[in-house]
Amino acid sequence: MRYLVLFWALLKKEYIYLKRYYFNTLSGIITIYIVFLIIFYGAKALLGGGSASPSFGNTLSGIVVGFMVWTFALFAYSDLSWAMIQEAQQGTLEQLYMTPLGFGWVAIFRVVATFIFNALIVILILFLMMASSGRWLHLDFLSLTPLILLTVAGVYGIGFLMGGLALVFKQVQAAFQILQFVFVFLIAAPADKFPLMKFLPLSLGTQLVGKVMIGEVPLTQLPLADLLFLLGNSAFYFGLGFLLFKFFENVARDRGLLGHY
Amino acid sequence: MQSILEVKELTKVYHQRRGEDVLAVDHIGFSVNKNEVVGLLGPNGAGKTTTIKCIAGLIEPTSGEIRLDGVNALRNQKRALEKVAAVLEGNRNVYWRLTPRENLEFFAGLQGLPVHRVKNYIDELIELFALKEKQRTPARKLSRGMQQKLAVACALVKQTEVLLLDEPTLGLDVETSYELRHLLRHLAEQGERTILLSSHDMNVVQDICERVIIINHGRIVTDDRVENLLRLFQASAYRFEIEGRLALEEEIKLKERFPLLEVSATDHRTYIDADLRDSAELYEIIEILKGGESRIEAIDHKEPNLEEIFLRIVKGDGG
Repeated sequence: MRYLVLFWALLKKEYIYLKRYYFNTLSGIITIYIVFLIIFYGAKALLGGGSASPSFGNTLSGIVVGFMVWTFALFAYSDLSWAMIQEAQQGTLEQLYMTPLGFGWVAIFRVVATFIFNALIVILILFLMMASSGRWLHLDFLSLTPLILLTVAGVYGIGFLMGGLALVFKQVQAAFQILQFVFVFLIAAPADKFPLMKFLPLSLGTQLVGKVMIGEVPLTQLPLADLLFLLGNSAFYFGLGFLLFKFFENVARDRGLLGHY
Repeated sequence: MQSILEVKELTKVYHQRRGEDVLAVDHIGFSVNKNEVVGLLGPNGAGKTTTIKCIAGLIEPTSGEIRLDGVNALRNQKRALEKVAAVLEGNRNVYWRLTPRENLEFFAGLQGLPVHRVKNYIDELIELFALKEKQRTPARKLSRGMQQKLAVACALVKQTEVLLLDEPTLGLDVETSYELRHLLRHLAEQGERTILLSSHDMNVVQDICERVIIINHGRIVTDDRVENLLRLFQASAYRFEIEGRLALEEEIKLKERFPLLEVSATDHRTYIDADLRDSAELYEIIEILKGGESRIEAIDHKEPNLEEIFLRIVKGDGG
């Protein structure tokens, strides 16, 4: 019950922020949409139309799917790492650490709360992208929800790691920017052609999401081995990120750095 | 009296990659009884904030023991955090984009307290801290004083038994500082919370705290009731009022015998301020003055305030 209360408090805070600062939210959506239009029409001019295919980076539908996953990844990653820096800057991080329910739960509930709102925003951006590209993709939410959750779970792990690094080393913003481009590479790299890519985050998940949205394959008909691999991959990156975050958190507590930025 | 906070042999060393390690807190120990209001005093870098943050679980001590209501805070941090809330230095403890009411509801939630259970208490706090008019204004638009009051209210809404306040009046103007002091005194008088308060503002400590712990260089140099300290220093502090100027010879004799004695003069009067250990020293001064031409107009007990006592203790000439 108390954990539910904590989750509700975090969900409500995220909602208030989105609503009260709707102009920020709106400008974020518009910026992402404009970036999409530039990439999409740039690619269209280069490819001269293209056809629906599950191999990404070389089809326009693939760009829509890839861009959607990238938006999810970007939100997931920035929510955690930037939020950690902001909380430290505004002095509320130490207050969050004083919850008797444990900061780990605060972080995880925050991830879930932001995922819910991010999903709504990404769906809106997706419809905008589909409407302007004229490529209406198959939206099987029952298949897509668990797939996307698993795909971005690895990114949340990276977010935890970067948040932990920010607690100790403070000036890590440059690495934050670089990682955004690394995500583009991971999403665009075809895991079906280069099997080793499967071991990295995002790549296999994006491929499977593409199969559902472009190939119209339901989750139940996706190769079980791929799904299990994705589950293992996400659990590994999420778990590793969280463990490293706890390690850096202990370093920060030892050096008295939680309240500094 | 039941002790609710016990600190034993607490030590914190900050290891430096370059240069010498910093010993911030050096084997300090004290206990605070239930509903007691204790002031933690010390110059900058004395170890006050480190001590408070160790108790709040925000800094890992190098060694020692902290017990909150019997719970070992280092071994069972989550259970210990049920007992303690803190307002840390400055006005940076609240969400500037949330209103006072939203902040209070959020911090209650952070403690696992559902809004419906604390609604009446939140109303009370908003009333008590005079935040009613601004309860729907984002905290960033409030004055620094109001933000600070909100931070204290957000710590109170957690309904913990122990409240740690690190420099709660720092950066406030005289009027707001007085208002916050008044509120803290009200809390202390209610006797429902145990408060450990660190402050540079001696008026705050003298006004609110029953007991004071003075830390210097990471060690406790004094731990006594405020009234005892005041009485102790009052008993030893004397002021002699002399008609006219003090003869140089007498002044030299006095300074030789009592090096810390202070002599000041106006046009028609000379004042001699001295801290004396016993009445024999009082008579010694009278003897020296009797030998010259000085006429003693009055001998008074000086009324020391906590600031003077603090300065004398940390300079090592008292306590």
